Amino acid sequence: MTTVAPDQVEAPQKGFAGTSIPRKEDKRLVQGEGVFFDDVKRHGMGYVHFVRSPYAHAGIVSIDVSAAEAVEGVYGTLIGEEVAAQTDPFFEMSTPPGSEIRDYALAVGKVRFAGEPVAAVVAETRELARDAAELVEVEYEPLEPVLDAVAAAEPGAPILHDEAGSNVVWSGKFEWGDFDEALAEADHVVKIDRLYFHRFSSTPLECAGALVEYDKGIAQWTLHCNHQMPGIGIVWMAPALRVGTDKLRIVTQDIGGGFGNKITLHPYFVALCLLARKLNRPVHWTEWRTDQHTANTHGNERTFLDVEVPVKADGTMLGFKVRAFDDAGAFPRYEPLGCIIWAQVTPGCYRWRHVLVDFTQTCTNKSPTAPNRGYSRMQQLWFTERVIDVVAHELDLDPVEVRKRNYIKSEEMPYETPNGCVYDSGDYARCLDIALDLIGYDKLEERRKDAESRGKLLGVGIGSTLDSGTNNFGQSQLLNPELQFSGNNEVATARLDIFGEVVVTLGTTPQGQSHETVTSQVVADLLGITPDDVHVRAGHDSYWNSHAGFSGTYASQFAVTGLEAVKGATLELASQIRRLASVILGADGPDDIVLEEGMAKRKDMPEAALPFMACGAIINVNNAGLPPELDDVTLNCRYVYRPPFQVPDHETKFGNLTLTYATQIHACVVEVDRETGVYEIVDYAAVDDCGTRIHPQIVEGQVHGATAHALGAATFETFPYDEDGMLLTSNFYDYHVPHALDMPPLKTGFIESPSPFNSLGTKGMGEGGGAGIHCVCAAIQDALRPVGNPVVTESHNPYHRVWELLQDPAASRAGIEVTGR
Amino acid sequence: MLLSEVGYARPASVDEAVRLLAENDGARPLAGGQTIVNVMKARAAAPDVLVDLGALEDLRAIAKAADGGLELGAMATYTQVITSGDIKDARPILAEVAAQIADVQVRNRGTVGGNICSNDPTNHLPPVMAAAGATMTIAGADGEREVSAEEFFLGVYMTAVGEGELLTKVTLPALNGAADGFAAITIGTDGTCIVNAAATVSRDEARVALGCVSATPVLLTVAADEDAVREAVAGATIDPPSDVHGSADYRRHLAAVVAARAVAQAKEGS
Amino acid sequence: MEPVTSKRITVTVNGASYERDVDARRLLVHVIRDDLDLTGTHIGCDTGNCGACTVIVDGLAVKSCMMLAVQADGVSIETVESLASDDELHPLQRAFSAHHALQCGYCTPGMLMSAKHLLDNNSEPTENEIRRAIQGNICRCTGYVNIVEAIDAAARGEVPA
Repeated sequence: MTTVAPDQVEAPQKGFAGTSIPRKEDKRLVQGEGVFFDDVKRHGMGYVHFVRSPYAHAGIVSIDVSAAEAVEGVYGTLIGEEVAAQTDPFFEMSTPPGSEIRDYALAVGKVRFAGEPVAAVVAETRELARDAAELVEVEYEPLEPVLDAVAAAEPGAPILHDEAGSNVVWSGKFEWGDFDEALAEADHVVKIDRLYFHRFSSTPLECAGALVEYDKGIAQWTLHCNHQMPGIGIVWMAPALRVGTDKLRIVTQDIGGGFGNKITLHPYFVALCLLARKLNRPVHWTEWRTDQHTANTHGNERTFLDVEVPVKADGTMLGFKVRAFDDAGAFPRYEPLGCIIWAQVTPGCYRWRHVLVDFTQTCTNKSPTAPNRGYSRMQQLWFTERVIDVVAHELDLDPVEVRKRNYIKSEEMPYETPNGCVYDSGDYARCLDIALDLIGYDKLEERRKDAESRGKLLGVGIGSTLDSGTNNFGQSQLLNPELQFSGNNEVATARLDIFGEVVVTLGTTPQGQSHETVTSQVVADLLGITPDDVHVRAGHDSYWNSHAGFSGTYASQFAVTGLEAVKGATLELASQIRRLASVILGADGPDDIVLEEGMAKRKDMPEAALPFMACGAIINVNNAGLPPELDDVTLNCRYVYRPPFQVPDHETKFGNLTLTYATQIHACVVEVDRETGVYEIVDYAAVDDCGTRIHPQIVEGQVHGATAHALGAATFETFPYDEDGMLLTSNFYDYHVPHALDMPPLKTGFIESPSPFNSLGTKGMGEGGGAGIHCVCAAIQDALRPVGNPVVTESHNPYHRVWELLQDPAASRAGIEVTGR
Repeated sequence: MLLSEVGYARPASVDEAVRLLAENDGARPLAGGQTIVNVMKARAAAPDVLVDLGALEDLRAIAKAADGGLELGAMATYTQVITSGDIKDARPILAEVAAQIADVQVRNRGTVGGNICSNDPTNHLPPVMAAAGATMTIAGADGEREVSAEEFFLGVYMTAVGEGELLTKVTLPALNGAADGFAAITIGTDGTCIVNAAATVSRDEARVALGCVSATPVLLTVAADEDAVREAVAGATIDPPSDVHGSADYRRHLAAVVAARAVAQAKEGS
Repeated sequence: MEPVTSKRITVTVNGASYERDVDARRLLVHVIRDDLDLTGTHIGCDTGNCGACTVIVDGLAVKSCMMLAVQADGVSIETVESLASDDELHPLQRAFSAHHALQCGYCTPGMLMSAKHLLDNNSEPTENEIRRAIQGNICRCTGYVNIVEAIDAAARGEVPA
């Protein structure tokens, strides 16, 4: 049997890859024929409604479900006591004290955030479940909440998890280079007391949910749901339920957006599994929007304190020192990884080498956080972008020049960062030039004067960002050396059916990223057929045996891991077809066979051709007489792609944490109304470099969407809490997301710097839009320079914040200091 | 998201509607539903009975009054207001403001009467009606009565429409050389108002109604000069809220700005 | 006439007539999805903001989550399932696909109905009119760029077969 190593095969012929073919997904979606979990119905299913905590922090004294259970049409209930008896706590990633947290599917003993599910009621109709839930009586003993990550780490703060005895989930130091040396070499040290990245999320339009069935005879659950990372979901759920992983079958077809907010659905799903088993009927749960905002997940918020940046007089940045505090909300779950994941982009786009980071993650009585589009890297990149803008302004230098001075240069790629990550390729300066050109940078002075004549302050801002893709889960060992996770993988299968149809399955769980289409392009090119000839199964199903431990759609990796798995499976299939055809057609060997137009042809005698249908038929139903060397030709190929990673060094926290780095450089022009603080984005450009673009239109669509998310977060979207721990923006009135009239005119540009680290040259790129936040912050700061030089220190700048900066610029400068020699 | 059990009736006449409202405890009118259905989804309120006004075609009429003013049926939708030729002639500000409310779908169902009677402090129409000096016609068991806009808005979500009563019509006086203006700062384009102000300017005098800064629209009569307007707003008794969209001070400041802008807009139009 | 807590309604949906007993408290969108098994119309929020539930009722685009099913007695409703006929997609559907105006597809049915409502009433919309027409439809995937392009293309009849 021949195995094909990716680097031995020439890149796919320039065929369908690289073109923007019509999407396979569209035909069903434009007709409303997509199957989202809520579209799946089962006879006799019970509808679930969760009773939720009204308190941010309270002991549970008692729960009485008897009145609810007595209502006709109510099928049953579930409370925390039952969960604690029937399940084990979900595994915790962190070291002590975070490892001691007890996290269950329902609140056990106490509640730790407002909206936390305390009990579940199942009934014949949705409305009845909702009504009956009001009859559940819960007695609480309110406790003082802690709502600030920094305060939560201090002695005397109310403790969320008594078993842990501390609100600190994890803390650690990261030290690379020699910060003292940097201080010695510096001409100035720019100090910033505090920078703050706020809490928001991508709020996918489809809320979470599942229809869970329990097959009693084989003790197997099937979850029709929208979990976007089933690999890890099952790793959490199976041990908790005390069953083998194969007892959980996750089925997703269409998912209405994920953006990371559908990675930690396991607590809800375990509750549903218990209910399905207890009541011996399928149970259906739909999360409503208010629930998603209050009790699903938020992106994490990060506070950066005591920032010190040694710089040269010409703006060369030598390094940075910072104390960072992550707010993980009430239950950390996936979040501890965020303590490390930022280090994929430690220096951002810049060449500074001396880094000292003191990182602490704490629990607070707020909604749990989870990876949200840009996860942990976005916060770090925002930090680097704020720093470079502050450095530029404080030293009276041009932010464009300072960036170019500090950018890692394309000639230096692949570039090893201070902590051993390798930036594969990119040309940041060139992307910046394109972005500036698109916004008419050289005409800005004229525009500034024109804006002034209309009472507006004009500002321009740049946001540089990297989208690190394809995680090395070995970074989890930097968090906790005991963890048995490392590397990454994705799976695909490719087979030829009896009638010659090419059928492909993926391990991913697309939520709009067009996997079926892009997969079909790659497969078509490798097999000499068209994308229409490639049938890619929609969605994900554990039963396809097409997944591994890291399967799912997250962390900007499909273009690498998914497509490499597809390529591997298809190359194996192609090889097997050629071997079979070689024997049947009497060729000298498989290398004399070419795949073209759905047939395997002899290169020397093209009329000697075996259609794929014949190949499929022979292997599947007509195999008598085949020679032994074809024994392993099954035309049913499964490939597990494994990116080339090592486990990073625990001591030095040094090593490559990610395979690819896509670039996005954004630039924007804002006009600020001096009277009100209201600002408008009047020009916007996003330049993307994700290496080889398999489907340019899809890539651009991702850039548009990620930009919209960023602009929403920059101006409108925030998840603030009041002093009692109640979320103030629990619906779309107060949590305003961009609508069609809110979007500025978007210009886009691109270059392609192929990644040398995978055979397709591709890079995941769905998460790079954070640049929108960076450049809006920068533009506001630039616009307000003439009126007191305020500094933008927060990622969220609604009109009232800009107003505050206009009213009291000195207050924002109070935490800024430049010391010099 | 899911409503409590509720009774429902769809009367064919105003008299029938008034009877149903009077005879059923906890009965509320159902107009366009763009507010009350959401309130019921959140279970912030749970009327026992909804009296659907959708069949009362008479209440949708928009017509010019004999004196050149405007008679606006309470069930006229925002879309009808936007497309009405009579409104364009007699009182175009109504169409301009209605066009800023939310979106097409909401405007196809939402009604003038609903906006006025729900009297959420952030609503668009109460300040417009107050500045314009509109008159509300209320039908009850004893017949009809008229209430001026100044006396109609009583408190948050509270108006002069009592139990067993129904707003049937809003009458606006003829412009007669006056002009209207409206300005707002909103949460996103055409979103909920953070502050708003309506102005009706006649010769050199402005009636300015501030929304969002008190339980009901705050009506000021002031010289139609921007500085005078700002001063009047600064000195007015208002109680703006502090919330995630802005502090009380910020709203206080914005109120003066939008009031001046509304007046300036009206002056441009006259 | 006395108030009732449930009512038999007759409603025409996509040209077919349905008679159903519905509780007064049930939202039109739930009856469309659960009782009539037309699951193309989606639910994305609980305050009437997102527009995923948009359908056309008696010629007007409305959010079906803010209408009670009992209010739909006697009306004619068009949902996304009405757009394609036999095997031919509606020009808007073809334009959406050609311009990559959908990614996850969840907002798409509501978006298409708002777009249809626009083009039924305005055959030459400007960009601003297009954006106003879909202002009540939230999309979190596309940033609206391609959606606006698609509707514009459909309006101008520049749609692939």
